Amino acid sequence: MGLLDSEAGKRRLLSIEIPVIERYNNGRDPEFKIRLVRQGCNLVLCYRLMPTHNVYDLETRLYSSYPMVPPETRVLTPLRHCPHLLEGQTMCLWRQGSTRATSRWDPSKYTCVFAIQAAWRWLACYELWHETGEWPLPEAK
Amino acid sequence: MDFRPLNDTERRGLLTALRSNVQDNRAILMDRRTTRFAGTAEDVTDDEVITAIKSVPCHY
Repeated sequence: MGLLDSEAGKRRLLSIEIPVIERYNNGRDPEFKIRLVRQGCNLVLCYRLMPTHNVYDLETRLYSSYPMVPPETRVLTPLRHCPHLLEGQTMCLWRQGSTRATSRWDPSKYTCVFAIQAAWRWLACYELWHETGEWPLPEAK
Repeated sequence: MDFRPLNDTERRGLLTALRSNVQDNRAILMDRRTTRFAGTAEDVTDDEVITAIKSVPCHY
């Protein structure tokens, strides 16, 4: 059962996710807009971020059980191996500990654009880490 | 990708913004067109909400 296969999923998309993507895209340069792509049961947001000088291509995947399961964000642009980077260049954003049960993602509060903002902050940290070798923010307690 | 490093001023500005985002809940602003870092703000208007990074509850 996917986001597009259930009434609740469609309602979530039409009333929350699509409007917030449209707001995000409004006034943005074309190459920095979110493109929404369907891949099987999943929806994938393809977009580009540029925290400083460097441009990164990313995709944020909304699984069929989204928003109960947090979105997963992957950097397509090659990165150096660094803290908080998982296999396949997936950003470690929401997990605290090693299980989904301790995820910091709150489906009642956050949208897919929030995941993009979290990715931006991760990339800003990466740029500083690239220079100094130290991740600039402490781990949350 | 050819990584272009930050200069000292950029590095300090970005570091200060990230820390104040975590410690003081100060919003980081993204440029509307290009998503580039555009400073920080105590409060954000309704129009800015979508391009302002408030507290992000990431695990780092």
